Amino acid sequence: MEQFAVMTEERGGAGLVESCQRGDREAFRLLFEEYKDKVYSVAFYFFAGDEAVASDVTQQVFLKLFTRIAQFRHQSEFSTWLYRLTTNACIDEQRRRKRFEPVEDTAAAALPRARGSAEDRLARREVRDELQGAIAALKPKLRIAILLKYFEELSYAEIADALGCSQGTVASRINRGHKVLARRLGHLRGSLFRGE
Amino acid sequence: MFARHVAKKLSAYAHGELAGAESARVATHLASCARCRGEFEEIKLGIRLVESVPARPAPAAMWGEIEAALPALPATLPASAASADFESTAVHATPRRRGPLRRRARGASDDFALTVGRASWLAGWRRAAVACSLLVLFAGVCGVVWVYHGSTRATWEVASLAGAPRVGSARVGKSARLGVGEWLETDADSRAELSVANIGQVEIDPGTRLRLVSTRLTEHRVELARGRMHARIWAPPRLFFVDTPSAVAADLGCAYTLEVDDKGRSLLQVTSGWVAFETKDRESMVPAGAACVTQPGTGPGTPFFEDATEPFVDALASFDFARGGADALASVLKEARARDTLTLWHLLARTSGADRVRVYERLAQLAPPPANVTREGALALDRRTLDDWKGALEATWLGGRDTNIKGTWRRMRAWLERNCPIP
Repeated sequence: MEQFAVMTEERGGAGLVESCQRGDREAFRLLFEEYKDKVYSVAFYFFAGDEAVASDVTQQVFLKLFTRIAQFRHQSEFSTWLYRLTTNACIDEQRRRKRFEPVEDTAAAALPRARGSAEDRLARREVRDELQGAIAALKPKLRIAILLKYFEELSYAEIADALGCSQGTVASRINRGHKVLARRLGHLRGSLFRGE
Repeated sequence: MFARHVAKKLSAYAHGELAGAESARVATHLASCARCRGEFEEIKLGIRLVESVPARPAPAAMWGEIEAALPALPATLPASAASADFESTAVHATPRRRGPLRRRARGASDDFALTVGRASWLAGWRRAAVACSLLVLFAGVCGVVWVYHGSTRATWEVASLAGAPRVGSARVGKSARLGVGEWLETDADSRAELSVANIGQVEIDPGTRLRLVSTRLTEHRVELARGRMHARIWAPPRLFFVDTPSAVAADLGCAYTLEVDDKGRSLLQVTSGWVAFETKDRESMVPAGAACVTQPGTGPGTPFFEDATEPFVDALASFDFARGGADALASVLKEARARDTLTLWHLLARTSGADRVRVYERLAQLAPPPANVTREGALALDRRTLDDWKGALEATWLGGRDTNIKGTWRRMRAWLERNCPIP
């Protein structure tokens, strides 16, 4: 892991992209290692913790990235380009799946009822599942803005760039997302922050 | 005065996305608008909820699957094969999925086949551009390092006000950055000023040792191991905390001075607003003009106004820290003035049985309870009853100020040293 970090740093973000554009397969691997967890996390929580869909979407994103990286002309940040691909892949996948299975309904139905538990581990898992379900139950526009903010650590300007909307719209979506989550999961306040 | 509510800006405010003037307007509005403060509590809960969601590592085998799906890559790909509008592709503009992963991989292979023929003529040009590429690489490395550190290591700005403060072992020149886990120290001749994210400032006096414990959207926390700090915080309540060896000071929108001596005792003196001085099972609410002393092992004592009489303060110290019991309590009650109802109100919850009745009666004598506060409710420590009474008493707690708190602090420390020494 340490060796990877050194290699990545040595080659540099821009240098890594250029190496990929020259067809350097090792550079592809390094670029994948650099971003895979962030892309996967966004897809994972976008699809209510469905690992199979998250894996498929992540593969789609990187495959598209690698096959089209020669077209990247450094007119925008590479990360913005990647997250735009991620956003598109998630929304396209959701559209496709919606024909068969509305994700919001599934996620909302999957929300477990709040209840006490003797086992702390079980309680933590329930809290985590409930959080996961609530995020997945957000409207897609709110959900993707929240996920890009927290898992990709993007600024509002970067999110606006990735989503193709204004910063004001991003601020509004994130604000609404926070409120929906707080109202839906207010009963978790105690169990989530116990011991702080 | 007409003031626009700020509910729609609260997430941007919490994320530090507002410009300075706008951020200040939101902070000012929050200080005076209960409705927006309520909304902000909701937003902060939302933030903490999402922050508690862990990132998910991608499955380890994924690279192998992607690599297998990739076409055989040419040695060099021409950047000029790019379609100019690809980078500006907006959300939803990508073509719908055409099918499973493998089929897309074959499509990708076709894309590459179109570009290979034009690869060779660019090779010479590329060699000539090696020098430029190296420069770009260097800039890239610098950029990545800068972005990485900027995004993952939040720091606070430290400015030297006098002498040579230190962050870790490094001397602070004109200014420096204090990272999470790092210590800021001032010697006998130095002073420093800390910018607390975008929510306030802390001035550090000589002989102080302070560590940045955490800084995130919903909580900024430092540890004051010894010395003295002056904090001015303009954020909504409970965003800024100071850990001391014997209690935690939670900012409720205020300015205050906090001092910790070598034995871990501390003195909190509030100059504006309110501060909650608390441990796990005890809380002292300290308003402007009041002070509170803590002692390791006991936690925060009962708050008192700085202009309280000397016998009152001494008796209170005896009650809080030296098990003075009924005698000390009797002296406190005897010496109490109308303004000392702050102390008496806190003592209701720190006494029991007949002592609590005595506190109630003296409190009711000094400040008759409002109609909705019953004797039974107060003696039963009913939360709403106590809050209502506190609300009615607050008017008598405002105004008046004594500047002799340093003398009081010296005297109290000497008294504590004699009567309840710390080994």
